Amino acid sequence: MGLAIVRGWQGYWVAVRLGWAISSNWTRPFLFIVYSILRPISMALILAVMYTVITHNSAAARPYLAFLIIGTAFWSFIQEGVSEFATGILEDRGRYHMLKYTYLAPLGFPVFLVGRASSKLASASASVVIVLLVGTFALGLPINPLTIDYPLLVLACLLAFVAIMAFSITLSMVLLAGRDSHGYGEIMAQFLYLFSGAIFPISLLPGPLAWLASLSPLGYWLELCRRAILHGRVYEMFPQLSDGEVLARLVAAVAGTVVLGYFTYLLSDRMARRRGYIDMESSW
Amino acid sequence: MTQYSPLRIFLKTVVARAYPRVIAIWRQVAWLFFDMAFPIVGSLAMVLVYQGLHAPRQYLGFVVMGGAMLAFWQNVLWSMATQFSWDRGNGTLELYTIAPTTFEAVLLGMAVGSMITTTIRAGVILVAGSLLFGISYASGGALAAIGVFLLTLAALYCLGMLLASLFLFYSREAWHLASALQEPVNFISGLYFPVRALGAYVAGGASLVPMTLGLDAMRQLLLPGTPVFIPVGLETTIVAIQVPVYAILAGLALRFLETRARSEGKLVTRWD
Repeated sequence: MGLAIVRGWQGYWVAVRLGWAISSNWTRPFLFIVYSILRPISMALILAVMYTVITHNSAAARPYLAFLIIGTAFWSFIQEGVSEFATGILEDRGRYHMLKYTYLAPLGFPVFLVGRASSKLASASASVVIVLLVGTFALGLPINPLTIDYPLLVLACLLAFVAIMAFSITLSMVLLAGRDSHGYGEIMAQFLYLFSGAIFPISLLPGPLAWLASLSPLGYWLELCRRAILHGRVYEMFPQLSDGEVLARLVAAVAGTVVLGYFTYLLSDRMARRRGYIDMESSW
Repeated sequence: MTQYSPLRIFLKTVVARAYPRVIAIWRQVAWLFFDMAFPIVGSLAMVLVYQGLHAPRQYLGFVVMGGAMLAFWQNVLWSMATQFSWDRGNGTLELYTIAPTTFEAVLLGMAVGSMITTTIRAGVILVAGSLLFGISYASGGALAAIGVFLLTLAALYCLGMLLASLFLFYSREAWHLASALQEPVNFISGLYFPVRALGAYVAGGASLVPMTLGLDAMRQLLLPGTPVFIPVGLETTIVAIQVPVYAILAGLALRFLETRARSEGKLVTRWD
Protein backbone atom coordinates (compact mmCIF):
# COMPACT_ATOMS: atom_id res chain seq x y z
CA MET A 1 0.00 0.00 0.00
CA GLY A 2 2.79 2.39 1.05
CA LEU A 3 4.79 1.52 -2.05
CA ALA A 4 1.76 2.10 -4.24
CA ILE A 5 1.32 5.56 -2.75
CA VAL A 6 4.98 6.40 -3.28
CA ARG A 7 4.83 5.20 -6.90
CA GLY A 8 1.58 7.06 -7.45
CA TRP A 9 3.16 10.23 -6.10
CA GLN A 10 6.25 9.76 -8.26
CA GLY A 11 4.10 9.25 -11.34
CA TYR A 12 2.00 12.27 -10.49
CA TRP A 13 5.10 14.42 -10.06
CA VAL A 14 6.55 13.25 -13.38
CA ALA A 15 3.26 14.16 -15.07
CA VAL A 16 3.36 17.61 -13.45
CA ARG A 17 6.94 18.16 -14.61
CA LEU A 18 6.14 16.91 -18.10
CA GLY A 19 3.17 19.27 -18.35
CA TRP A 20 5.28 22.16 -17.15
CA ALA A 21 8.07 21.34 -19.61
CA ILE A 22 5.69 21.13 -22.57
CA SER A 23 4.02 24.39 -21.55
CA SER A 24 7.12 26.39 -20.90
CA ASN A 25 10.29 25.03 -22.49
CA TRP A 26 9.66 26.57 -25.89
CA THR A 27 11.18 29.81 -24.70
CA ARG A 28 13.03 31.56 -21.90
CA PRO A 29 11.21 31.84 -18.54
CA PHE A 30 10.84 35.62 -18.76
CA LEU A 31 9.25 35.49 -22.19
CA PHE A 32 7.02 32.64 -21.04
CA ILE A 33 5.72 34.76 -18.17
CA VAL A 34 5.18 37.74 -20.46
CA TYR A 35 3.19 35.61 -22.89
CA SER A 36 1.22 34.02 -20.06
CA ILE A 37 0.07 37.29 -18.54
CA LEU A 38 -0.67 39.24 -21.75
CA ARG A 39 -4.03 37.60 -22.25
CA PRO A 40 -5.54 37.99 -18.76
CA ILE A 41 -4.18 41.52 -18.38
CA SER A 42 -5.63 42.56 -21.73
CA MET A 43 -8.95 41.00 -20.77
CA ALA A 44 -8.93 42.89 -17.47
CA LEU A 45 -8.08 46.14 -19.27
CA ILE A 46 -10.87 45.65 -21.82
CA LEU A 47 -13.34 45.35 -18.96
CA ALA A 48 -11.80 48.26 -17.08
CA VAL A 49 -12.14 50.53 -20.15
CA MET A 50 -15.73 49.38 -20.75
CA TYR A 51 -16.47 50.15 -17.11
CA THR A 52 -14.81 53.59 -17.33
CA VAL A 53 -16.60 54.53 -20.56
CA ILE A 54 -19.99 53.84 -19.01
CA THR A 55 -19.55 54.86 -15.36
CA HIS A 56 -16.84 57.53 -15.77
CA ASN A 57 -15.14 55.78 -12.84
CA SER A 58 -17.72 56.95 -10.34
CA ALA A 59 -17.18 55.92 -6.72
CA ALA A 60 -20.59 54.26 -6.55
CA ALA A 61 -19.64 51.82 -9.29
CA ARG A 62 -16.24 50.80 -7.87
CA PRO A 63 -17.53 47.54 -6.34
CA TYR A 64 -18.55 46.46 -9.83
CA LEU A 65 -15.02 47.12 -11.15
CA ALA A 66 -13.68 44.95 -8.33
CA PHE A 67 -16.20 42.28 -9.36
CA LEU A 68 -14.93 42.39 -12.96
CA ILE A 69 -11.22 42.37 -12.19
CA ILE A 70 -11.24 39.61 -9.56
CA GLY A 71 -13.46 37.47 -11.82
CA THR A 72 -11.10 37.97 -14.74
CA ALA A 73 -8.03 37.23 -12.61
CA PHE A 74 -9.33 33.90 -11.34
CA TRP A 75 -10.69 33.01 -14.76
CA SER A 76 -7.10 32.17 -15.74
CA PHE A 77 -7.49 28.92 -13.79
CA ILE A 78 -10.37 27.88 -16.06
CA GLN A 79 -8.60 29.06 -19.19
CA GLU A 80 -5.52 27.00 -18.39
CA GLY A 81 -7.25 24.15 -16.60
CA VAL A 82 -9.93 23.50 -19.22
CA SER A 83 -8.85 24.95 -22.55
CA GLU A 84 -5.09 24.49 -22.40
CA PHE A 85 -5.38 21.12 -20.68
CA ALA A 86 -7.74 19.69 -23.31
CA THR A 87 -5.44 21.00 -26.05
CA GLY A 88 -2.46 19.44 -24.26
CA ILE A 89 -4.04 15.98 -24.12
CA LEU A 90 -5.02 16.15 -27.79
CA GLU A 91 -1.46 17.22 -28.61
CA ASP A 92 -0.10 14.28 -26.61
CA ARG A 93 -2.10 11.98 -28.87
CA GLY A 94 -1.96 13.71 -32.24
CA ARG A 95 1.30 15.60 -32.32
CA TYR A 96 3.64 13.79 -29.94
CA HIS A 97 2.03 10.34 -30.27
CA MET A 98 2.74 9.54 -26.62
CA LEU A 99 -0.72 9.29 -25.09
CA LYS A 100 -0.88 5.53 -25.77
CA TYR A 101 2.29 4.99 -23.74
CA THR A 102 1.02 6.92 -20.74
CA TYR A 103 -2.28 5.08 -21.02
CA LEU A 104 -0.52 1.70 -20.95
CA ALA A 105 1.90 2.65 -18.16
CA PRO A 106 1.28 0.85 -14.82
CA LEU A 107 0.97 4.25 -13.17
CA GLY A 108 -2.74 4.61 -13.94
CA PHE A 109 -4.01 7.00 -16.59
CA PRO A 110 -6.07 9.23 -14.23
CA VAL A 111 -2.94 9.96 -12.17
CA PHE A 112 -1.19 11.17 -15.31
CA LEU A 113 -4.17 13.34 -16.25
CA VAL A 114 -4.39 14.86 -12.77
CA GLY A 115 -0.66 15.60 -12.91
CA ARG A 116 -0.97 17.33 -16.28
CA ALA A 117 -3.96 19.34 -15.04
CA SER A 118 -2.06 20.34 -11.88
CA SER A 119 0.76 21.84 -13.93
CA LYS A 120 -1.74 23.87 -15.93
CA LEU A 121 -3.38 25.21 -12.77
CA ALA A 122 0.01 26.04 -11.28
CA SER A 123 1.08 28.01 -14.34
CA ALA A 124 -2.21 29.96 -14.20
CA SER A 125 -1.48 31.16 -10.68
CA ALA A 126 1.15 33.64 -11.96
CA SER A 127 -1.52 35.28 -14.17
CA VAL A 128 -3.92 35.51 -11.23
CA VAL A 129 -1.36 37.30 -9.06
CA ILE A 130 -0.29 39.68 -11.83
CA VAL A 131 -3.87 40.68 -12.73
CA LEU A 132 -4.65 41.32 -9.06
CA LEU A 133 -1.50 43.47 -8.83
CA VAL A 134 -2.57 45.42 -11.92
CA GLY A 135 -6.02 45.81 -10.37
CA THR A 136 -4.52 47.12 -7.15
CA PHE A 137 -1.86 49.48 -8.46
CA ALA A 138 -3.14 50.53 -11.90
CA LEU A 139 -6.89 50.47 -11.31
CA GLY A 140 -6.88 51.43 -7.64
CA LEU A 141 -8.78 48.47 -6.19
CA PRO A 142 -8.50 48.46 -2.38
CA ILE A 143 -6.86 45.01 -2.22
CA ASN A 144 -4.73 44.61 0.89
CA PRO A 145 -2.79 41.33 1.25
CA LEU A 146 -3.01 41.64 5.05
CA THR A 147 -6.81 41.70 5.15
CA ILE A 148 -7.50 38.84 2.74
CA ASP A 149 -9.41 35.93 4.28
CA TYR A 150 -6.83 33.32 3.23
CA PRO A 151 -8.49 30.22 4.73
CA LEU A 152 -11.71 30.98 2.83
CA LEU A 153 -9.80 31.78 -0.38
CA VAL A 154 -7.65 28.63 -0.22
CA LEU A 155 -10.57 26.38 0.65
CA ALA A 156 -12.71 27.78 -2.16
CA CYS A 157 -9.87 27.46 -4.65
CA LEU A 158 -9.03 23.87 -3.63
CA LEU A 159 -12.65 22.85 -4.04
CA ALA A 160 -12.85 24.63 -7.40
CA PHE A 161 -9.65 22.94 -8.59
CA VAL A 162 -11.21 19.54 -7.91
CA ALA A 163 -14.22 20.52 -10.01
CA ILE A 164 -12.10 22.03 -12.78
CA MET A 165 -9.91 18.91 -12.96
CA ALA A 166 -12.93 16.59 -12.96
CA PHE A 167 -14.52 18.61 -15.74
CA SER A 168 -11.41 19.04 -17.88
CA ILE A 169 -10.30 15.40 -17.57
CA THR A 170 -13.75 14.22 -18.60
CA LEU A 171 -13.88 16.75 -21.41
CA SER A 172 -10.51 15.68 -22.78
CA MET A 173 -11.59 12.01 -22.74
CA VAL A 174 -14.75 12.92 -24.62
CA LEU A 175 -12.79 15.00 -27.13
CA LEU A 176 -10.55 12.05 -27.91
CA ALA A 177 -13.47 10.74 -29.98
CA GLY A 178 -12.91 13.55 -32.49
CA ARG A 179 -10.32 13.34 -35.24
CA ASP A 180 -10.12 17.11 -35.47
CA SER A 181 -11.29 18.31 -32.07
CA HIS A 182 -8.40 20.71 -31.57
CA GLY A 183 -9.81 24.03 -30.32
CA TYR A 184 -12.93 22.56 -28.75
CA GLY A 185 -11.43 23.03 -25.29
CA GLU A 186 -11.16 26.75 -25.98
CA ILE A 187 -14.76 26.86 -27.13
CA MET A 188 -15.90 24.98 -24.04
CA ALA A 189 -14.01 27.45 -21.83
CA GLN A 190 -15.78 30.26 -23.67
CA PHE A 191 -19.16 28.70 -22.92
CA LEU A 192 -18.19 28.29 -19.26
CA TYR A 193 -17.32 31.99 -19.28
CA LEU A 194 -21.02 32.72 -19.71
CA PHE A 195 -22.13 30.48 -16.88
CA SER A 196 -19.48 31.28 -14.31
CA GLY A 197 -20.33 34.80 -13.23
CA ALA A 198 -16.74 35.83 -14.02
CA ILE A 199 -17.62 39.16 -15.63
CA PHE A 200 -21.34 39.62 -15.01
CA PRO A 201 -23.77 38.32 -12.40
CA ILE A 202 -25.44 35.09 -13.48
CA SER A 203 -28.81 36.68 -12.67
CA LEU A 204 -28.44 38.68 -15.91
CA LEU A 205 -28.70 35.46 -17.94
CA PRO A 206 -32.11 34.50 -19.34
CA GLY A 207 -34.13 32.35 -16.86
CA PRO A 208 -33.22 28.77 -17.87
CA LEU A 209 -29.57 29.69 -18.44
CA ALA A 210 -29.41 31.42 -15.04
CA TRP A 211 -30.80 28.26 -13.45
CA LEU A 212 -28.19 26.14 -15.25
CA ALA A 213 -25.46 28.52 -14.12
CA SER A 214 -26.62 28.21 -10.52
CA LEU A 215 -25.81 24.48 -10.68
CA SER A 216 -22.20 25.17 -11.65
CA PRO A 217 -19.57 25.43 -8.91
CA LEU A 218 -17.77 28.25 -10.74
CA GLY A 219 -20.15 31.03 -9.71
CA TYR A 220 -19.95 30.09 -6.01
CA TRP A 221 -16.17 29.76 -6.20
CA LEU A 222 -15.70 33.20 -7.78
CA GLU A 223 -18.16 34.70 -5.28
CA LEU A 224 -16.10 33.33 -2.39
CA CYS A 225 -12.85 34.55 -3.98
CA ARG A 226 -14.30 38.05 -4.26
CA ARG A 227 -15.61 37.99 -0.70
CA ALA A 228 -12.31 36.63 0.67
CA ILE A 229 -10.32 39.38 -1.06
CA LEU A 230 -12.65 42.39 -0.72
CA HIS A 231 -15.43 41.53 1.68
CA GLY A 232 -18.12 44.23 1.63
CA ARG A 233 -16.37 46.33 -0.99
CA VAL A 234 -17.18 44.18 -3.99
CA TYR A 235 -20.43 43.60 -5.86
CA GLU A 236 -21.98 40.33 -4.63
CA MET A 237 -23.90 37.89 -6.82
CA PHE A 238 -25.62 36.25 -3.86
CA PRO A 239 -26.09 39.04 -1.30
CA GLN A 240 -28.78 37.07 0.53
CA LEU A 241 -26.38 34.17 1.23
CA SER A 242 -23.76 34.11 3.98
CA ASP A 243 -20.21 32.93 3.30
CA GLY A 244 -21.04 29.57 4.87
CA GLU A 245 -24.11 29.13 2.69
CA VAL A 246 -22.16 29.95 -0.47
CA LEU A 247 -19.47 27.48 0.65
CA ALA A 248 -22.09 24.79 1.24
CA ARG A 249 -23.46 25.34 -2.28
CA LEU A 250 -19.92 25.18 -3.66
CA VAL A 251 -19.31 21.84 -1.92
CA ALA A 252 -22.58 20.44 -3.27
CA ALA A 253 -21.87 21.67 -6.81
CA VAL A 254 -18.31 20.28 -6.72
CA ALA A 255 -19.60 16.91 -5.51
CA GLY A 256 -22.16 16.87 -8.32
CA THR A 257 -19.49 17.75 -10.89
CA VAL A 258 -17.15 15.02 -9.64
CA VAL A 259 -19.85 12.31 -9.64
CA LEU A 260 -21.14 13.31 -13.08
CA GLY A 261 -17.58 13.61 -14.37
CA TYR A 262 -16.62 10.20 -12.98
CA PHE A 263 -19.41 8.34 -14.75
CA THR A 264 -18.91 10.27 -17.99
CA TYR A 265 -15.18 9.49 -17.76
CA LEU A 266 -15.88 5.76 -17.32
CA LEU A 267 -18.21 5.77 -20.31
CA SER A 268 -15.89 7.74 -22.58
CA ASP A 269 -12.89 5.68 -21.45
CA ARG A 270 -14.67 2.45 -22.33
CA MET A 271 -15.68 3.86 -25.68
CA ALA A 272 -12.13 5.14 -26.33
CA ARG A 273 -10.68 1.66 -25.72
CA ARG A 274 -13.30 -0.12 -27.82
CA ARG A 275 -13.00 2.23 -30.76
CA GLY A 276 -9.26 2.86 -30.59
CA TYR A 277 -9.38 6.57 -29.80
CA ILE A 278 -6.33 6.49 -27.51
CA ASP A 279 -3.86 5.96 -30.35
CA MET A 280 -6.01 7.19 -33.24
CA GLU A 281 -4.20 9.25 -35.87
CA SER A 282 -5.67 12.75 -35.78
CA SER A 283 -5.22 15.95 -37.73
CA TRP A 284 -1.98 17.68 -36.90
CA MET B 1 5.76 20.96 -73.24
CA THR B 2 3.26 23.79 -72.73
CA GLN B 3 4.67 26.99 -71.28
CA TYR B 4 2.22 29.02 -69.23
CA SER B 5 2.64 32.74 -68.68
CA PRO B 6 3.73 33.85 -65.18
CA LEU B 7 0.45 35.73 -64.77
CA ARG B 8 -1.58 32.61 -65.55
CA ILE B 9 0.46 30.56 -63.09
CA PHE B 10 0.03 33.29 -60.48
CA LEU B 11 -3.74 33.42 -60.91
CA LYS B 12 -4.11 29.64 -61.00
CA THR B 13 -2.06 29.42 -57.80
CA VAL B 14 -4.33 31.95 -56.13
CA VAL B 15 -7.42 29.94 -57.10
CA ALA B 16 -5.78 26.62 -56.17
CA ARG B 17 -4.79 27.85 -52.72
CA ALA B 18 -8.14 29.54 -52.10
CA TYR B 19 -10.07 26.41 -53.11
CA PRO B 20 -9.24 24.22 -50.08
CA ARG B 21 -10.02 27.11 -47.76
CA VAL B 22 -13.56 27.28 -49.10
CA ILE B 23 -14.08 23.54 -49.47
CA ALA B 24 -12.61 22.81 -46.03
CA ILE B 25 -15.71 24.28 -44.40
CA TRP B 26 -17.69 21.20 -45.42
CA ARG B 27 -15.01 18.76 -44.29
CA GLN B 28 -15.68 19.52 -40.63
CA VAL B 29 -19.16 20.99 -40.49
CA ALA B 30 -19.07 21.15 -36.69
CA TRP B 31 -16.34 23.77 -37.02
CA LEU B 32 -18.67 25.95 -39.09
CA PHE B 33 -21.05 26.06 -36.15
CA PHE B 34 -18.31 26.63 -33.57
CA ASP B 35 -16.57 29.30 -35.66
CA MET B 36 -19.77 31.30 -35.53
CA ALA B 37 -20.77 30.35 -32.00
CA PHE B 38 -17.40 31.36 -30.56
CA PRO B 39 -17.61 35.10 -31.39
CA ILE B 40 -21.35 35.15 -30.63
CA VAL B 41 -20.74 33.71 -27.15
CA GLY B 42 -17.90 36.19 -26.61
CA SER B 43 -20.14 39.04 -27.75
CA LEU B 44 -22.98 37.83 -25.54
CA ALA B 45 -20.64 37.95 -22.53
CA MET B 46 -19.67 41.53 -23.35
CA VAL B 47 -23.29 42.54 -23.96
CA LEU B 48 -24.16 41.23 -20.51
CA VAL B 49 -21.25 43.20 -19.02
CA TYR B 50 -22.69 46.36 -20.56
CA GLN B 51 -26.15 45.42 -19.30
CA GLY B 52 -24.66 44.92 -15.84
CA LEU B 53 -23.25 48.43 -16.12
CA HIS B 54 -26.64 49.76 -17.33
CA ALA B 55 -25.00 51.06 -20.52
CA PRO B 56 -27.00 52.82 -23.28
CA ARG B 57 -28.35 50.44 -25.92
CA GLN B 58 -26.00 51.86 -28.55
CA TYR B 59 -23.07 50.08 -26.88
CA LEU B 60 -24.60 46.70 -27.64
CA GLY B 61 -24.13 47.58 -31.31
CA PHE B 62 -20.47 48.25 -30.58
CA VAL B 63 -20.09 44.75 -29.21
CA VAL B 64 -21.87 43.00 -32.09
CA MET B 65 -19.81 44.84 -34.72
CA GLY B 66 -16.68 44.08 -32.70
CA GLY B 67 -17.67 40.40 -32.53
CA ALA B 68 -18.04 40.29 -36.33
CA MET B 69 -14.62 41.87 -36.83
CA LEU B 70 -13.15 39.50 -34.25
CA ALA B 71 -13.88 36.65 -36.66
CA PHE B 72 -11.56 38.31 -39.19
CA TRP B 73 -8.78 39.01 -36.72
CA GLN B 74 -8.87 35.42 -35.48
CA ASN B 75 -8.78 34.24 -39.06
CA VAL B 76 -5.82 36.48 -39.91
CA LEU B 77 -3.92 35.24 -36.85
CA TRP B 78 -4.67 31.53 -37.02
CA SER B 79 -5.22 30.94 -40.73
CA MET B 80 -2.77 33.43 -42.21
CA ALA B 81 -0.03 34.42 -39.78
CA THR B 82 0.65 30.95 -38.42
CA GLN B 83 -0.13 29.09 -41.66
CA PHE B 84 3.41 28.88 -43.05
CA SER B 85 4.57 27.63 -39.67
CA TRP B 86 1.96 24.84 -39.80
CA ASP B 87 2.92 24.16 -43.41
CA ARG B 88 6.53 23.83 -42.40
CA GLY B 89 5.53 21.43 -39.64
CA ASN B 90 3.51 19.15 -41.91
CA GLY B 91 5.85 19.33 -44.90
CA THR B 92 3.66 21.41 -47.25
CA LEU B 93 6.09 24.33 -47.24
CA GLU B 94 8.63 22.15 -49.03
CA LEU B 95 6.11 21.65 -51.82
CA TYR B 96 5.47 25.40 -52.06
CA THR B 97 9.21 25.99 -52.23
CA ILE B 98 9.81 23.68 -55.18
CA ALA B 99 6.56 24.57 -57.00
CA PRO B 100 7.05 26.83 -60.06
CA THR B 101 5.07 29.66 -58.49
CA THR B 102 5.58 32.44 -55.98
CA PHE B 103 4.96 32.66 -52.25
CA GLU B 104 2.96 35.83 -52.94
CA ALA B 105 0.45 33.87 -55.01
CA VAL B 106 0.13 31.23 -52.29
CA LEU B 107 -0.42 33.90 -49.64
CA LEU B 108 -2.93 35.77 -51.78
CA GLY B 109 -4.83 32.54 -52.36
CA MET B 110 -4.92 31.89 -48.63
CA ALA B 111 -6.20 35.42 -48.04
CA VAL B 112 -8.90 35.25 -50.74
CA GLY B 113 -10.16 31.87 -49.52
CA SER B 114 -10.16 33.05 -45.92
CA MET B 115 -11.93 36.30 -46.77
CA ILE B 116 -14.78 34.49 -48.52
CA THR B 117 -15.43 32.02 -45.72
CA THR B 118 -14.89 34.47 -42.87
CA THR B 119 -17.16 37.09 -44.46
CA ILE B 120 -19.98 34.54 -44.46
CA ARG B 121 -19.30 33.76 -40.80
CA ALA B 122 -19.05 37.41 -39.83
CA GLY B 123 -22.29 38.13 -41.70
CA VAL B 124 -24.10 35.44 -39.73
CA ILE B 125 -22.62 36.80 -36.48
CA LEU B 126 -23.71 40.34 -37.35
CA VAL B 127 -27.24 39.35 -38.34
CA ALA B 128 -27.74 36.89 -35.45
CA GLY B 129 -26.26 39.30 -32.90
CA SER B 130 -28.30 42.25 -34.16
CA LEU B 131 -31.53 40.25 -34.08
CA LEU B 132 -30.74 38.68 -30.72
CA PHE B 133 -30.00 42.00 -29.03
CA GLY B 134 -32.42 44.14 -31.06
CA ILE B 135 -29.81 46.46 -32.56
CA SER B 136 -30.65 48.86 -35.38
CA TYR B 137 -28.21 50.65 -37.68
CA ALA B 138 -28.34 53.90 -39.65
CA SER B 139 -29.16 52.79 -43.19
CA GLY B 140 -27.80 56.03 -44.67
CA GLY B 141 -24.21 55.05 -43.93
CA ALA B 142 -24.53 51.44 -45.13
CA LEU B 143 -22.90 51.84 -48.57
CA ALA B 144 -20.00 53.85 -47.23
CA ALA B 145 -19.60 51.33 -44.40
CA ILE B 146 -19.39 48.48 -46.92
CA GLY B 147 -16.66 50.38 -48.74
CA VAL B 148 -14.71 50.92 -45.52
CA PHE B 149 -15.24 47.27 -44.62
CA LEU B 150 -13.76 46.06 -47.94
CA LEU B 151 -10.77 48.39 -47.56
CA THR B 152 -10.26 47.20 -43.99
CA LEU B 153 -10.36 43.57 -45.11
CA ALA B 154 -7.77 44.24 -47.81
CA ALA B 155 -5.44 45.96 -45.33
CA LEU B 156 -6.02 43.32 -42.65
CA TYR B 157 -5.18 40.42 -44.94
CA CYS B 158 -2.12 42.23 -46.30
CA LEU B 159 -1.03 42.51 -42.68
CA GLY B 160 -1.76 38.78 -42.38
CA MET B 161 0.55 38.08 -45.34
CA LEU B 162 3.27 40.11 -43.68
CA LEU B 163 2.79 38.25 -40.39
CA ALA B 164 2.88 34.89 -42.20
CA SER B 165 6.37 35.71 -43.44
CA LEU B 166 7.54 37.05 -40.09
CA PHE B 167 6.12 34.11 -38.14
CA LEU B 168 8.36 31.75 -40.12
CA PHE B 169 11.28 33.08 -38.14
CA TYR B 170 9.73 31.54 -35.06
CA SER B 171 9.60 27.85 -34.33
CA ARG B 172 7.40 26.58 -31.50
CA GLU B 173 7.00 30.19 -30.46
CA ALA B 174 4.72 30.94 -33.43
CA TRP B 175 1.73 29.30 -31.78
CA HIS B 176 2.28 31.16 -28.52
CA LEU B 177 2.94 34.42 -30.33
CA ALA B 178 -0.39 34.18 -32.16
CA SER B 179 -2.14 33.29 -28.93
CA ALA B 180 -0.47 36.19 -27.13
CA LEU B 181 -1.39 38.65 -29.89
CA GLN B 182 -5.08 37.87 -29.80
CA GLU B 183 -6.37 39.47 -26.62
CA PRO B 184 -4.02 42.52 -26.58
CA VAL B 185 -5.14 43.41 -30.10
CA ASN B 186 -8.76 42.93 -29.05
CA PHE B 187 -8.00 45.49 -26.36
CA ILE B 188 -6.07 48.15 -28.29
CA SER B 189 -8.27 47.99 -31.37
CA GLY B 190 -11.35 48.86 -29.32
CA LEU B 191 -13.27 45.75 -30.28
CA TYR B 192 -15.81 46.24 -27.51
CA PHE B 193 -15.61 49.97 -26.76
CA PRO B 194 -14.95 53.23 -28.64
CA VAL B 195 -11.22 53.36 -29.35
CA ARG B 196 -11.21 57.04 -28.41
CA ALA B 197 -11.40 55.92 -24.77
CA LEU B 198 -7.78 54.74 -25.00
CA GLY B 199 -6.48 58.25 -25.62
CA ALA B 200 -4.65 59.67 -28.63
CA TYR B 201 -1.30 57.92 -28.14
CA VAL B 202 -2.50 54.37 -27.50
CA ALA B 203 -5.27 54.58 -30.10
CA GLY B 204 -2.81 56.16 -32.55
CA GLY B 205 -0.38 53.27 -32.03
CA ALA B 206 -3.23 50.79 -32.30
CA SER B 207 -4.07 52.26 -35.70
CA LEU B 208 -1.24 50.14 -37.11
CA VAL B 209 -3.79 47.33 -36.96
CA PRO B 210 -6.22 48.23 -39.76
CA MET B 211 -9.15 46.85 -37.77
CA THR B 212 -8.83 49.74 -35.28
CA LEU B 213 -9.59 52.56 -37.71
CA GLY B 214 -11.82 50.47 -39.97
CA LEU B 215 -14.06 49.44 -37.11
CA ASP B 216 -14.19 52.97 -35.71
CA ALA B 217 -15.14 54.35 -39.13
CA MET B 218 -17.86 51.73 -39.63
CA ARG B 219 -19.27 52.47 -36.19
CA GLN B 220 -19.38 56.19 -36.94
CA LEU B 221 -21.25 55.44 -40.15
CA LEU B 222 -23.70 52.86 -38.80
CA LEU B 223 -24.14 53.87 -35.16
CA PRO B 224 -24.69 57.64 -35.01
CA GLY B 225 -23.54 59.23 -31.77
CA THR B 226 -20.41 57.06 -31.60
CA PRO B 227 -17.56 58.92 -29.83
CA VAL B 228 -15.30 60.04 -32.69
CA PHE B 229 -11.59 59.19 -32.58
CA ILE B 230 -10.72 60.86 -35.89
CA PRO B 231 -13.09 61.73 -38.78
CA VAL B 232 -14.27 58.91 -41.04
CA GLY B 233 -12.58 60.38 -44.12
CA LEU B 234 -9.17 60.43 -42.49
CA GLU B 235 -9.61 56.93 -41.06
CA THR B 236 -10.57 55.59 -44.48
CA THR B 237 -7.58 57.28 -46.11
CA ILE B 238 -5.16 55.80 -43.59
CA VAL B 239 -6.62 52.32 -44.04
CA ALA B 240 -6.39 52.74 -47.83
CA ILE B 241 -2.70 53.65 -47.48
CA GLN B 242 -2.10 50.61 -45.28
CA VAL B 243 -3.16 48.23 -48.08
CA PRO B 244 -0.14 48.84 -50.39
CA VAL B 245 2.20 49.46 -47.46
CA TYR B 246 1.52 46.06 -45.87
CA ALA B 247 1.52 44.36 -49.29
CA ILE B 248 4.96 45.80 -50.11
CA LEU B 249 6.28 44.94 -46.65
CA ALA B 250 4.97 41.38 -47.05
CA GLY B 251 6.85 41.11 -50.36
CA LEU B 252 10.04 42.46 -48.78
CA ALA B 253 9.71 40.05 -45.85
CA LEU B 254 9.34 37.15 -48.27
CA ARG B 255 12.47 38.21 -50.21
CA PHE B 256 14.39 38.53 -46.95
CA LEU B 257 13.13 35.16 -45.88
CA GLU B 258 14.24 33.53 -49.12
CA THR B 259 17.66 35.13 -48.92
CA ARG B 260 18.13 33.97 -45.36
CA ALA B 261 16.79 30.52 -46.19
CA ARG B 262 19.31 30.16 -48.98
CA SER B 263 22.22 31.19 -46.78
CA GLU B 264 21.19 29.05 -43.81
CA GLY B 265 19.30 26.29 -45.60
CA LYS B 266 16.64 26.23 -42.87
CA LEU B 267 13.46 27.40 -44.53
CA VAL B 268 11.83 24.00 -44.58
CA THR B 269 13.47 22.58 -41.46
CA ARG B 270 10.75 21.05 -39.34
CA TRP B 271 10.78 22.02 -35.71
CA ASP B 272 8.74 19.20 -34.26
